[in-house]
Formats: sequence, C-alpha cells, structure tokens
Amino acid sequence: MERAIRFIDRLTAWFGKAFAWCILAMTLGVGYEVFVRYVLNSPTAWAFDLSYMMYGALFMMGGAYTLSRNGHVRGDFIYRLWRPRVQARIELVLYFLFFFPGILALIFAGGKYAERSISYTEVSVMSPAGMPVFQFKMLMVAAGILLLLQGIAQVMRCLVCIRDGEWMQQDEDVEEMEKILLKQAAEKLAQRGANAS
Amino acid sequence: MTDPQIALSMLGVFILSIFLGFPIAFTLMAMGVFFGYYAYFDPARQWRSYDKLMGSEDPGTFDIVSAWFEGFFNNRIFDLFVNQTYSVMSNDVLTAIPLFLFMGYVVERANIVNKLFDTLYLSARRVPGAMAVAALATCALFATATGIVGAVVTLMGMLALPSMLRARYDTSFAAGVICAGGCLGILIPPSIMLIVYAASSNVSIVKLYAGALVPGFLLAGLYMIYVITRATLNPRLAPKPMASEIEHLSPVKIFVMLLTSFFPLAFLILAVLGAILFGLATPSEAAALGALGGLLLAAAYRSLTWDRLRESVYLTVRTSAMVCWMFVGSWVFSSVFSYMGGESIVEEIVLGFDLSPIMFLIVAQIIIFLLGWPLEWSEIIIIFVPIFLPLLPHFGVDPLFFGILIALNLQTSFLTPPMAMSAYYLKGVAPPGVELTQIFAGVMPYLVLILIAMVLIYVFPQLVFYLPELVYG
Repeated sequence: MERAIRFIDRLTAWFGKAFAWCILAMTLGVGYEVFVRYVLNSPTAWAFDLSYMMYGALFMMGGAYTLSRNGHVRGDFIYRLWRPRVQARIELVLYFLFFFPGILALIFAGGKYAERSISYTEVSVMSPAGMPVFQFKMLMVAAGILLLLQGIAQVMRCLVCIRDGEWMQQDEDVEEMEKILLKQAAEKLAQRGANAS
Repeated sequence: MTDPQIALSMLGVFILSIFLGFPIAFTLMAMGVFFGYYAYFDPARQWRSYDKLMGSEDPGTFDIVSAWFEGFFNNRIFDLFVNQTYSVMSNDVLTAIPLFLFMGYVVERANIVNKLFDTLYLSARRVPGAMAVAALATCALFATATGIVGAVVTLMGMLALPSMLRARYDTSFAAGVICAGGCLGILIPPSIMLIVYAASSNVSIVKLYAGALVPGFLLAGLYMIYVITRATLNPRLAPKPMASEIEHLSPVKIFVMLLTSFFPLAFLILAVLGAILFGLATPSEAAALGALGGLLLAAAYRSLTWDRLRESVYLTVRTSAMVCWMFVGSWVFSSVFSYMGGESIVEEIVLGFDLSPIMFLIVAQIIIFLLGWPLEWSEIIIIFVPIFLPLLPHFGVDPLFFGILIALNLQTSFLTPPMAMSAYYLKGVAPPGVELTQIFAGVMPYLVLILIAMVLIYVFPQLVFYLPELVYG
C-alpha cells in the first residue's frame, strides 16, 4: 500500500510541478506584452489569452499535488487536537462523503463540457488571435482525474495511519521558508538540550 | 421545508463540517453538489429517456441502466458546477495571484533582509528605539513586497529579535514589533488579500489598491509613532546604545548602503504600484513585471540559483492551487445557496434586527474579528465575506470601504490566539527563554492601534476615498 501511495504522490507531483512552470511562461509572456506595447507600440493579440490559460492550467493541475502535500486549507483548530488515528478515521469517511462525489461530478460534467467544445474546435472570443480553448477545457477533466487518483492515495494514507497509529512520513520536497526555519530552530534547540544534559 | 430554509441548513451543515478539519475547498464543492442536486432536481429530466425506453418494446438491461444513468446526470447542477469552475479558470482578476505569489517567493529568497535591517538600523540609530524602528520598517517593506506573513516573521525572528535582545531591549516590546510589522503586508498594496477580496466582491482591484494605500500607511505610521513614543517615555524598554557601540559612519557611506539595500526593493514596490495606479498596466501585468524585477533583484544580490527558482515555482503552484480551488468550491456553493434563496433570507433576517448602519458595521466587523480566531484570512474572505456583501447596499456601505475595514481587521487574525500564526512562528524561531505570553503581551498594544485605525477610517472616510476619487474621478 505504501508503494502505491508513493507512486501516486510522485505522479501527481510530476504533473503539478510540470505545470508549475507555467508561471514562468506567464511572467515572460506578460512581460513581453508590456514591453512591445510601450516600447514598440504594437501590442500582441495573444498575451491576454496566454495569461489566463497559464493561470488556469497552473492551479487546476496543481490541485492534486497540493492535496498530497497537505496544502489545502483546513479549519484544523479542533482537528489538530485529535490523535492521528482519530484524524484518519474521520478523514476516511469524509473522503467518501465530501471528496469523491464532487470530483466525480467534475470529471463527468467536465467531460461533457469539453466534448462539446472539442466538437467544434472552439476558439477564444476574448482576443483577436482566436486561440483555441478546447484543450484548456479538457484540463478540467485531467485535473479531476489527478485529484481522483490523489484522493485514492489519501484514502490509503488514512488506512495506513489507522493501522500504524501515526501518519506516514512524506518524501522530501520544497517547503515554505517559515517551515524550514522553524524546523531548523527546533533542531538547534534539541541539540542544545542534548549538549546540556 | 422550503428552499430558503434548506439553504440556511446548508450553511449550518457547512459550518459544522468545517470543524471536522477536512480541506475546505472540497467540503464546499460537495455541499454545493449535494444541495444543488436537490434544488435543481427535475423529475421530468430525470425520467425522460427512461420512460421513453420503457414505453418501447423489449428494452435491454444495458439500455435501461444507461438510460437511468443518463437521467441521473441530467441535472442542471452539473452544468452549474462546470460553469463556475470555468469562470474561476478564466477569471482575469485572479490571474494576478500566482504572479504576485511568484514575485513574493522570489524576493523572499533574495537574501535581502539582513542587509535591509542593518542599513535601516544604521540610518535610524539616533532615533529612540532605533532597532525596533528599523525592525518595523524592514518588516513593513519586506512584507509589502512578499505579501506572505510567515516568512517575514520567522526571518526577522531569527535576525532582529536576537539583536534586540542582545541590545537589552524588553522581550515583549521587541517581539510585538516583529509580529505586528510582519502582518502589514496583507494590507499595504500590492497585497494578495485585496486581490482575493476584489474577486469575491467585484470591486475594481485598482480602486481597492488606491483605497488601501492611505490606511496602510496610516497603520504603519501609528505603529511607528507608538514604538518611538514608548521608547522615549520608557528608555528601559529600548536602551540607547552606548557611545562606544555606535560606529561612526559618514552620511555618504550610509546613503550608499541605503542605495544598495533599501532603494531597490522600495523602487520595485513603487514601480509595481505606480504602474497599476496610473493605469499603465493591469494588476496582472504589473505583477508579471514585479516578478521579473524580483528575479533581477535576486540576480543582483547573487542569490538567484536554480534551486531557489525551482522552490519559488513549486511553492507558487501550491499556494495558488490552495486559493483558487477554494474559489471553485465557494462559487459553486454560493450560487446554489443564492439559487435556493439563502441570500435573501439572510437579508430578511438581518434587516429584521433593524440595525443602524453603524451598528451593522460594528456587528459585521466583530463577527469577522471572531472568525479570525480559528480561521485564516483566505477562508474568511472567500467564504464568509460574500455572505455580508449583498447586505451592504441596504446600509449604504460602500464595498470598497468595507474591504479596507476587513483588511485592517484581519491583521488581528494573525495576532490573536488560538491561531495567532504570527506569534507562533516567532515563538518557534525565538531564542530559548522567550515565552508565548511575553509575545502576546507585546502584541496587545498593536490590537488597540488597529482598532484606532478602524475608528479613524470610519470617522474620516476620506482617508479611503480620497485617492480612488482623485485618480479615477
């Protein structure tokens, strides 16, 4: 089971990280647009479409990766007081109650929506370049499938936690600066305590 | 039960399920789908193809099952769900969020804080409480550029707090400055919180930025006055450095130091803000330029490495996904909620209390203040603030004004227990011997200052409206 969890984690992280680079494309593309508009006086026809497509792709495809890193906000002021086993039991139920129905709806309804868009190779009406948008709408289904997979991994995580009584260790990954600094400070303190005794 | 009653119970069930600690974005989505399925349920649509099939002769089992499934998914909630998701995906206000986040993460990693703090301290060293003043200014500037609370507080907690303690500053006094200063970034533009508010309230983000500028400086100014006054009145809180400890530096030297640490960052912020306020660029474009500027800045400080760039990119995707998926959930939820008449019944109930506008404002702000104890700003703005927004016209409150009050108010959500992130982060990195109670004691006065700023803005609304009216008529 642990192997399956790690496999799904790596898969969603790969997609999340691959699409994360959209931010760089977006920064450069929009920067270029401003440059040619003011300096060369000839705005591009595609920069606006590019910016929202990059943004949409970025956050949709990052959703599953964020879930695997426990990055979606929870109102955890009571949750954190529980023992891991209790947390896992409740979460296990809630994944079936709150998670899968919504995600399945996203996949099926998104699929129909994208299908319609593909059937006439829809293009954007927001800018003169007429960028195609059907592939952008297909992302909704792709994001839903990734989330579904990650949801299955999370359910397995809960099962492992119920069995072992503690949450599974996560693979190393980039972390927020405050988390890294807090961890370093805690380690330093522990070390000092060990030296003193 | 009537639809509005069901809408109210939907809100109730949702609030209860927040306590279970499940990721809120998905809870919202599920609530929207369940209650929406009920609200939009139409037997004619559900059974149309099934009945037709049963009318024909000898239907196969497979056909019956598939006809049933087709009917099951033939509910308008699914169209609504997809449309709301797509409108978050193609929202042109929210595009600025990943860009500003990216800029923040890049600047955060540019190794700029040490230099900034040292230089500001040297240039302020004749002022009473010089180190606290420098810490406050560093926090404000850095928080404004990054818009991320945790990083500022931890970085300053490792850098400025030990220096202040070594200089025999009072522990509470030193801790309070850092905690409060680090939160200014969510108020002073270009703040990410205001973009989120703009997307949920449909107030123009440009006007919000213009409106938040004066209140932001007002609050920072109040903090500054407080720090200097206390240090003057009670020098024991912030002892003056001995004459031997003061290095003698020529003003030219200090100016050169400022030129390499303070001005580049200040210039970056001003350029981004200026481009937005003078209408030279949309907020997203300005954010992209800011991110490019941040990359240049990091390169100039020789701290732009491949690893740091990668870190910034990956953290950007995670934080953006967190915020934007919550929008997906919230928009699905709230459109079902208002379809069932939830909005109007909330209006009816609130109007039934017959509040005066000032009472309404006070009650609303108290509720938001209380929500800030257990919840984070993102949840409050995306989920709970939209419940208040339809009420504003009844009381003649401008949503722009309301947004600025909230931005001031939410400073407290980082500072008040039980979820005082700012204080906990500081405690986590502080030298041993600094207690949480000391940090909270140091933070208290700032809560009063925030309240004073809110009252000032209520009494003189021109503080908010002057700039937006000046620039946009």
